[in-house]
Amino acid sequence: MDADITQAPQQTITVSTGNNIWKRLRRSNLSNYLLLIAGALVMVIPFIWMLSTSFKPQAETISFPPRLLPMHPTLDNYFETFQRLNMGRLYLNTAFIAVVKTIINVYTSSLIGYIFGKFVFRGRDLLFYIILATWIIPFEVYMIPLYVMMVNFGLGDTYWALILPEISSAYAVFLFRQFMFTIPNDLLDAGRIDGASEWYIFHRLILPLSRPVIATLVAFYFMWNWNDFLWPLIVISSTNKYVLPVGLAVFVAEHGTQYGLTMAGASLAIVPVVILFLLTQRHIVQGITLTGMK
Amino acid sequence: MAASKVMPRKAHRSSVRGGEFRFIATVLVPTTIFYVLFRLYPLAYAFYMSLHDWKLLRVQQTFVGLKNYQTILNDPLFIKVVGNTFYFAIAATVLGTIVALYLAILINPIERGSTVLRLLYFLPVMTSTIAIATVWLWLYQTRFGLFNALLTMIGLPRIPWLQSPDWAMPSIILMSVWAGVGFTMIIFLAGLRGIPRSFYEAAEIDGATTLQQVRYITIPLLAPVTAFVVVTGLIGGFNVFQQVFLMTRGGPLDSTRTLALHIYDYAFLRLFMGTAASMAFVMFALVIAMTFVQLRIQRTEWEF
Repeated sequence: MDADITQAPQQTITVSTGNNIWKRLRRSNLSNYLLLIAGALVMVIPFIWMLSTSFKPQAETISFPPRLLPMHPTLDNYFETFQRLNMGRLYLNTAFIAVVKTIINVYTSSLIGYIFGKFVFRGRDLLFYIILATWIIPFEVYMIPLYVMMVNFGLGDTYWALILPEISSAYAVFLFRQFMFTIPNDLLDAGRIDGASEWYIFHRLILPLSRPVIATLVAFYFMWNWNDFLWPLIVISSTNKYVLPVGLAVFVAEHGTQYGLTMAGASLAIVPVVILFLLTQRHIVQGITLTGMK
Repeated sequence: MAASKVMPRKAHRSSVRGGEFRFIATVLVPTTIFYVLFRLYPLAYAFYMSLHDWKLLRVQQTFVGLKNYQTILNDPLFIKVVGNTFYFAIAATVLGTIVALYLAILINPIERGSTVLRLLYFLPVMTSTIAIATVWLWLYQTRFGLFNALLTMIGLPRIPWLQSPDWAMPSIILMSVWAGVGFTMIIFLAGLRGIPRSFYEAAEIDGATTLQQVRYITIPLLAPVTAFVVVTGLIGGFNVFQQVFLMTRGGPLDSTRTLALHIYDYAFLRLFMGTAASMAFVMFALVIAMTFVQLRIQRTEWEF
């Protein structure tokens, strides 16, 4: 190597270091970090305060000035809340409903989306757009007749009333249909030439290929179903059939001023979802990008 | 039918085999039954109810024509409720969009730690609104709540967050913005990733400041994303229920009574289901109007 070439860059570096401190500081995004961390604190403080209060004895929750850490930490709030809220039961009910609703909805919607995305038949687009249009009906419009229907069917206060209206969702059908366009037709034709049945092709070819969409929608619908409130509030009246948000709302209405208890209740409702979220966050964040943009 | 006309060109198979036909029918017959039974029929039924003085468990319902609509549109409380709903939807959407966009612009260039930051901002999105409202009920508590404690510590007077008709709605809005900002931020981040880096590099060479880059590159190029965020935010805002149900029950003095809460109260507490159904159709009209706005925006060509 020639000496000239190795020397040239060295010179430019020594010249530029002096007035480049500002540029480098800007590149390091220091001010971005500071602002974002301040914002993150705002996001986290309510949760920290919730946890901190949940470990405080009642007298300590209303002492002034407030302390971040409990002086006499106690688990009493949790024991009492767990018992009074019948928490084990609520977890089971909510998990059962959320899992069943999510699996059924994602399965049926993938099947319907596949039909609309990959087959050609008379009236297909008309039917699809009618289904898609039902998506904009606000729940407040059809919840009243739906309730009357459920009562007339004899399904009031049963889990059938929670599951049946959510067997399929227009939004999930729409997303699956969009995804099906990306699967090449040759693949399906190859399967058909090999003599595979339509169901076999769907289960063994389409479903495995749809894994990214399925993962995203499962994460999403599980989260929505777990947090669903208004419909269970209307249709479920027996305490032992309550789901978590309804149980918590009733509990808060009854024990509103015992903040140790309500914060323990909120923590018990939030913590499992947060753990689940940390395990699946990749799918969820991907999902927003997918659902938000398309 | 429009669909059958385009068939020959789109078709990837010339003939529909028997097996294929049976497959399609097996899926679409129950599908059609489902969407008719659980979406379209209730929609028609709701309209039918809205034309009646409808009481649950009564055998004969009295037909009243458009009287329910007349009654609610002449009811000052209903007008106030619609106003409250707009107040919430617009304020929460505008504030949420601005904060989310700002956060997205801040977080976009960051490489190290951005996942952790995004997770923290996303935390409330995962959580049930009821649980969040429970926590904020405590933060907003007038005498012992954290917010007023902090205000007193720096020598400011306490704010009667949820107890004053002037403050209650802003308090609900503030909490809702906090809870939803992480979601909007991630949508904006996806939009930011679509803007070519070279645009900013070119601007930097021309000596544009960061602020100018945001003003003349980021904001115009994000216009479609912003439109999407605003419209879906407004539609979501029209449906606000859980926060006001748990935190204020519509009070004080109906200052936080929203459409969804009002419909719920009329239908399931007072059992005036006909009146409630007519209110729901007013809400439906608002949502349809917003949806048309969105379709118009989406159809517009965005030239970069």
